[in-house]
Amino acid sequence: MTTGRRILLADADAFYVAVARLVDPDGAGKARLLIVGGAPDRRGVVTSASYEARAYGVQSAMPMARAVRLCPGATVVPVPWEACADKGREIAAVLRRFTPAVEQASSDEFYLDLSGTERLYHDEPLAATARRIRDTVLAETTLSLSIGGATSKLVAKLAAGVAKPRPGSPSGGVHVVPPGAEAEFMLRFALADLPFVGPKFQERLARFGLRSVRDVVRHERETLVRWLGEREGEWLYQRVRGHDAAPVEPDREAKSVSRDETFPTDVDDDDALAAKLLVLADRASADLRDGGLVARTVSVKLRDADFITRQASRTLPDPVRSDRAVYAVARQLLARLRRARRVPARLLGVALSQLGAEGAEGQLSLLEREAGGIETERDRTISRVIDEVRGKFGPDALGRGGAQGR
Amino acid sequence: MKFTITREQLQEGLSAVAAAIPAKTTLPVLANVLVEVTKQGLRLSGTDLDIAVSTTVPAEVDAEGAVTLPAKKLVDIARELPSGPVRITAAGESRVGIECGRSKFKLLGLPREEFPSFPAVKFDGAWKAAAGVVHKLVGHVAFAASTEESRPILNGVLWELRPDHMRMVATNGHRLAKMDVPAKGGSTADLIVPPKALEQIRRLFAADEALEVARSDNHIGFRAGGTLVFSRLIEGPYPNYEQVIPRENDKVATVDKAGMAAALRRMSVVASDQTHRIRLAFSGGAVKFSVQTPDLGEAQDELAVTYEGEPLEIGFNATYLLEILKYMPTDEVRITFKAPERAATVEPVGWDDPASYMALVMPLRLVD
Repeated sequence: MTTGRRILLADADAFYVAVARLVDPDGAGKARLLIVGGAPDRRGVVTSASYEARAYGVQSAMPMARAVRLCPGATVVPVPWEACADKGREIAAVLRRFTPAVEQASSDEFYLDLSGTERLYHDEPLAATARRIRDTVLAETTLSLSIGGATSKLVAKLAAGVAKPRPGSPSGGVHVVPPGAEAEFMLRFALADLPFVGPKFQERLARFGLRSVRDVVRHERETLVRWLGEREGEWLYQRVRGHDAAPVEPDREAKSVSRDETFPTDVDDDDALAAKLLVLADRASADLRDGGLVARTVSVKLRDADFITRQASRTLPDPVRSDRAVYAVARQLLARLRRARRVPARLLGVALSQLGAEGAEGQLSLLEREAGGIETERDRTISRVIDEVRGKFGPDALGRGGAQGR
Repeated sequence: MKFTITREQLQEGLSAVAAAIPAKTTLPVLANVLVEVTKQGLRLSGTDLDIAVSTTVPAEVDAEGAVTLPAKKLVDIARELPSGPVRITAAGESRVGIECGRSKFKLLGLPREEFPSFPAVKFDGAWKAAAGVVHKLVGHVAFAASTEESRPILNGVLWELRPDHMRMVATNGHRLAKMDVPAKGGSTADLIVPPKALEQIRRLFAADEALEVARSDNHIGFRAGGTLVFSRLIEGPYPNYEQVIPRENDKVATVDKAGMAAALRRMSVVASDQTHRIRLAFSGGAVKFSVQTPDLGEAQDELAVTYEGEPLEIGFNATYLLEILKYMPTDEVRITFKAPERAATVEPVGWDDPASYMALVMPLRLVD
């Protein structure tokens, strides 16, 4: 049953900007025009910008060089990743006091399912609960949230967008769409506002004259299915009416751990790429171990200078966690990608997936001493020691010889 | 094509080949059974392209011919027919009429030319073995093969044919089973056979039948009576398993199989769903079982055993141990160890059989 669900989406306002200001109260904290992201001379992109900077047209994911041209007086600071992760966890901890069904959708977005809490909260209206949640988070973390409420995740997310403060128009920070009003609420949106409707899908939709929710609701289900196919036609038909049965998944765990790097200038030399790969494999496997995880699938992503992105993966018989094992597999994958097309590369990435908890293995292997065993006990021990040294002396205390001069 | 057959014999032939016919297939003709009528009788064949089964049953033949017919429909018709002679006749291109008593059917098929040809395996110079001996090998070893796709070679069962014995070995990299039986004659070969094909052998051939086994470059063939089975072989080399069989295990426990299995099942209730990790502590005349699972609870048990050697604490996946015990043919088993992170062996005690059998299992690392 999806009717009668009480779902909230809590989204931290200008999260990266807010955290950057907390971390550096005298610098970023005092800059009205603040942009957070990568450096403009290293092909960095904007992660987030203060509402004042956004008024100049600065948007997230925009190249930083362009953002600085649009908003010349802005202060640019790097993303304080660790502080952001800490603050995200603090917010989640507060939210969990209101309902155990909290799903962290990204570092600053949380879905809450409050279905069944009516008695617990003495039939308080959902908007009132949302306001209490917002006040509590603000008091305890100094971070401000925008909260959308509805009977589905889709509508709650769009409602949160409506609740967001805009330059020159402060908002109450809470917008709840009452049950039954979803279809009418949806009419104000462009199709591009819906999650999963990306530029390519938008192009396809535009060919049928479909640009807004209003354009779509005029058509029968059969027409949409004929135009877009069974799956996408049905999907769109449901979404424009605000129907979305996706559950809030509190235990949703990370499905992959990845690290990638966009190079300041394109790299064409195989040895140089291998050295970059070593650093990425080292970081990704360190993240993996940090999360107490092991991985069975190793993937390498390569984006060529002409923006063609290619990927190769390999699934291993036994899970691995050491940088040596990850690099050994990643290197073969990179070689395969380079053999297929050898042009200057713009971005390189390593991803580890099919994750499991570290304790879940521990099963010793009969055939390990043979070539089939990718990772040996020795690799695991070395990784453990590396982690200990880095824990004591910092992340740069120890690195692989091949990664020198990074 | 025109022949008469008893309903029972039609059913018998169909049930032999039906198991090789895939339920879902992208190639329509594979859902069909190949029906060939010759002077020898009725030959029925089915294949999923990995395994092919063919069997001949007696029939009264009036005219030879061949066609393929939808297997499931033919099986269903044969089952529902009254008992009595069944007359099957060609009724035009790829069409047959089936009559039995007052029941009449017309069934559409596909031309025989569309049916894949069988692997060219020649049976001259074939190895010969009692089907019962092969059953015994398969029945004790095939369970240990891997079902994961990451190392296809481990999905197969290694069958070593030697002048004086045959051996089967299977492993998933964590546990291994191995059995040797004496054999006479025949040349030397190492075959890696999909367990699915070996299951067909167990199903199709009675223990007392004389089984012929032959190979081509990449296929294996089995023949006994009027029935043939072909399977693709998995390409080697198989890992060097000999090197992982421990020779220096100096700690030996002799245990009652049923008592051990019961204790393991009890401990499994509170073991982790993922690792099935249990701890065994051997010393003096007893083994103590214990399990501790965060967020769930703990359990202990104890069993009297004969144990020689230094006290030992070792962790195992309870599922692996239980499975191995299930296939042990004797009431008592001998388990040997070297150290907590080294392979343990399990063998039958006092087995009155010319075969020799052992299983290996790698421990789980104990986390304190």
